[in-house]
Amino acid sequence: MSPTPPEDTIPEGDDLIAAEYVLGVLPAEERREVARRIETDKPFAQLVARWQQHFDPLNDQFAPVAAPHHLKSQIDHRLFGTEPTLASMPLWTSVIFWRGLAFAALALAVIGFGRDLIEPRATSPQLVASLESAGSPVRTLAIFDEQTKKLKMTLVSGDIPQDKSLELWLIAGNEAPVSLGLIKSPQVTEFDLPQPVSAKLRDGTTLAITVEPAGGAPGGAPTGAIVAAGTVRGI
Amino acid sequence: MTPEGISELISRVSLRDRAAFDALYTSTSAKLFGVCLRILGNRTEAEDALQDIYVKIWNKADRFAVAGTSPISWLVAIARNHCIDVLRARKPAAAELDQAVDVAEPSPNPEQSAMATGEARRIYDCLGQLDTMRADAVRGAYLNGDSYEALARRYNVPLNTMRTWLRRSLLKLKECLEK
Repeated sequence: MSPTPPEDTIPEGDDLIAAEYVLGVLPAEERREVARRIETDKPFAQLVARWQQHFDPLNDQFAPVAAPHHLKSQIDHRLFGTEPTLASMPLWTSVIFWRGLAFAALALAVIGFGRDLIEPRATSPQLVASLESAGSPVRTLAIFDEQTKKLKMTLVSGDIPQDKSLELWLIAGNEAPVSLGLIKSPQVTEFDLPQPVSAKLRDGTTLAITVEPAGGAPGGAPTGAIVAAGTVRGI
Repeated sequence: MTPEGISELISRVSLRDRAAFDALYTSTSAKLFGVCLRILGNRTEAEDALQDIYVKIWNKADRFAVAGTSPISWLVAIARNHCIDVLRARKPAAAELDQAVDVAEPSPNPEQSAMATGEARRIYDCLGQLDTMRADAVRGAYLNGDSYEALARRYNVPLNTMRTWLRRSLLKLKECLEK
């Protein structure tokens, strides 16, 4: 800490700029400059984070106020287009679902394990998922074989990036993502699902694919960008 | 909802899980709407801001793990920063003056500071060691989004004097906070 400067000079320094940004007192142009700097200058970003932590306890003084109901559907509309969320509507009215199913059936037939779909077993529903993400070239299909406990996945479009791995994750309910393994083949990769994991694979479970360092996420939790995701459906 | 529960939801949102996004909205939107109302001081702008904020949250969720902070603090910071940007973009500056007058002066809240413990207490204690007027200026900036301009008008001092004041207060505050 530098000694307090004489009374008539403005104290200077990055740390004070960081504090002013957190407090919010800067004019628009200066705020934009600081915001840009946070993106590119890591030591400076840490100063900002530290000030933010100091002031966080004051957040208690923001009293919660219920937001009007219509806001959430407007947010969904902006993010996802016109359809309300899949979870909130009956399956048979979901265009996304039927589109996904038609796509799934077609692609499964093409890659040769569509028989199960065409002649569905009466015993248990077949679990399938179509994974994609807006703006990403990667699209995959997954189908779970109840008997062998194998999840088969095929890359319908997109490539496995060089020097990186594509890692498949299962997200059940509120739980942390569980790695199912790496996508090894542009055609079909089979993932063995041990019992505790296969038990979590059911209608509504999310599957997602992230780009990870070669060999997979080092800490067992996803670190990279999502290139495709989708919900498992029993059909 | 526990902080762990909210962290979990943010991670799932980063995996593009819309059910998690719905749950995150349900459990956090009242707090963030409170932030918007307090800083923007009017409902229409606060509603627009809240929409923008959740769009940002959806798009920036993958950066939460990197931020290494408590989930609700991370969300409030996104909301505050967005609302302050909206305030600063407002023209003319007079709008801000009206707003500053409308909003009740933030007062030290003894109940809340008594409830806060340990690390959280520290900011209240350290603000308490500043000259009352200066502590109010710092609190007002954080909670109401007052700009240097608005503060200079309120305390009837030139802009540079205001900046010197506040920066000195921040130095003192830091000395106390990191003691």
